[in-house]
Amino acid sequence: MHQRSSNLNTAQSLLLAAAFFGTSGAALADIKVGITVPSTGFAAADGKSALDGAKLAVAQANAKGGVKGEKIELVVYDDQASPKEAVPAATKLVEKDKVVAAIGGSYSGATRASASVFQGAQVPYAVAYAIHPDITKTGDYMFRVSAMGEVQGRAGAKLVNDLGKKKVALINIKNDFGQSLAAGFKEGAAKFGLTIVGEHEYSLQDRQFGALIANLKSQDPEVIYASGYFYTAGPLVNQLRAAGVTATIIGQEGYDSDKFMEIAGPASEGVLVTTSLDRDSANPATKAFLADYRAAYNAGADMVAAATYTATQVVIDGLNKTGGKGGAALRDAMAAGTYDSPIGKLSFNDLHEVKKDIQVQIVKDKAFRRHSVISDAVLLAPPSKSSK
Amino acid sequence: MFVLELVAQSLVQGSIYALIALGLTLVYGLLRILHVAHASLFTLGAYVGVLTYNATGSLALTLLAAMLVSGLSGVAMFRLAYKPLLKQPPHVALIASIGLFIAAEECFRIAFGASGLSFANTPLQGQVRIGSLQFKEAEIAVMLGAALILGALAWLQSHTRVGIACQATVSDPQMAESFGITLNTVRDLNFLVGSALAGFAGVWVAVLNNLVEPTMGSVPSYKALAIIVLGGMGSVPGTLMAALVLGLVESFGTVYLGKVLDRNAIAFAFLIVVLMMRPQGLFAKK
Repeated sequence: MHQRSSNLNTAQSLLLAAAFFGTSGAALADIKVGITVPSTGFAAADGKSALDGAKLAVAQANAKGGVKGEKIELVVYDDQASPKEAVPAATKLVEKDKVVAAIGGSYSGATRASASVFQGAQVPYAVAYAIHPDITKTGDYMFRVSAMGEVQGRAGAKLVNDLGKKKVALINIKNDFGQSLAAGFKEGAAKFGLTIVGEHEYSLQDRQFGALIANLKSQDPEVIYASGYFYTAGPLVNQLRAAGVTATIIGQEGYDSDKFMEIAGPASEGVLVTTSLDRDSANPATKAFLADYRAAYNAGADMVAAATYTATQVVIDGLNKTGGKGGAALRDAMAAGTYDSPIGKLSFNDLHEVKKDIQVQIVKDKAFRRHSVISDAVLLAPPSKSSK
Repeated sequence: MFVLELVAQSLVQGSIYALIALGLTLVYGLLRILHVAHASLFTLGAYVGVLTYNATGSLALTLLAAMLVSGLSGVAMFRLAYKPLLKQPPHVALIASIGLFIAAEECFRIAFGASGLSFANTPLQGQVRIGSLQFKEAEIAVMLGAALILGALAWLQSHTRVGIACQATVSDPQMAESFGITLNTVRDLNFLVGSALAGFAGVWVAVLNNLVEPTMGSVPSYKALAIIVLGGMGSVPGTLMAALVLGLVESFGTVYLGKVLDRNAIAFAFLIVVLMMRPQGLFAKK
């Protein structure tokens, strides 16, 4: 414990130093790792969590001596979670900064766009929480530490079945995230014999759901499977409860932020989310991460921070094995590793997708607590090279 | 029953749209400027609202503070940004306005954080049943508030000297000036009132969503433009009607066209259809 707190002090001063000197103040010999996050625009809140997670992992690694004595330098670009910003950001990381590896701390749309840049330059790209299936299909330099959308969707259907409910209404956010979740959920629903009584869609900018909710009420579902992010799901859940809808609400990792409870207020109680961060985990890596994150930022970690921390950890672990070299050597080292991370024990399959359990958290007294764990190796199997 | 519920929801939406679009119409009628940055005053009102309510717990004070800050900021925007550009062609002011809007969004993010603010204790969350319909108290409040304020404004405009001076300035600025109306006072007043209404709307949207984000003005910024075009560019009653009609079209569109058309696209699809049939807008006189 004493050891950790001194590490952390070093970590904090490194963070401070990084903040003061930016990227240009570092020595030339440093090992450069790139990261793209949405620091501005609609996804800036997730961008901040992602960057905080990555910085913590880098600071901790540097405090332990970096990679063979060389410090790791995190080169940060803002992609605004937009594909058209993501490509130039990725290109700059590759061409100008010549990073050995990159971390994807952004949404699916932006991540898909930058994926081909990194693949073309043979720079390993560890994607934290973007869940669109096409990302890892881009090529063998792509890695993903989160369960992809379809897998999470299937887990959602299993959760409904486990709760003993049958009648489900879907509320899908109209983007890559919502589409892949809905596709997975419907696949699972067919398997478990669930009835989908209605399917509704909303767009990322929507915060007012009056008409949608009026329509949903007339379908009288037992469970609502609603995709979204905390800033859409907060108002949605709040308005569902205000309209007198009592059906169980199931969300996903997009809900996974303390802000969700803040926005939805008392309406958030009892909401279930399928995610990758278990707040009540006994796993030492998870516990250490939650404690370290709070110490460094004085705020609770969310799924985005945990996933980006993990992606960074995967890259650093690989760099330690290659002695700081990138390219094919780093790709193979990352692919071969097994990782004890805040989001559980991970290893990659041949498509560099992770196989792992899905954590179900429930909101109790304004906090995410463990509800159950969905582990079903067949149902939750990520796609591999052989599966089209 | 279901249809009634949809109509009720469209009234709530329509009231909010009306409050936001009115300021835009006033400015357009007066200066022929498409005041995109108006939406940032809506966001500003929402931020001031959450901060004031969390500090004081008084809703009256909250509304007052939000309207005052938004209103005065609107006047400042006019004096500092638009007034020096009045002699330029209108697109210059439009570009300035878009610049202001983007800058404001980033300022909100820097000042208040990217993840937005919420009420510690959201006001007016209780349920009200009217017949078979269920409302949140805040929804009732926003409809009543909008009706009251807009009604009062309409009365003031036709029954007071100031109101008549405003109308005169809109229809013929030079003639109005020769009758002793100070153009700049009228312009200040229009920005003050229009921006205060945006701030008022901002507070209510904050209460309804329990979330104020830097980007919350992005949809209103362009939707309000659609509304004033529908309403016949610069016509106050036309704008109010267009706001309510758009609320209806959107609510029913979300349910019946939601799979094909995005809710925010519905407004523009409707706009295109209307403009094809009535190029002067829905409610313009000619």
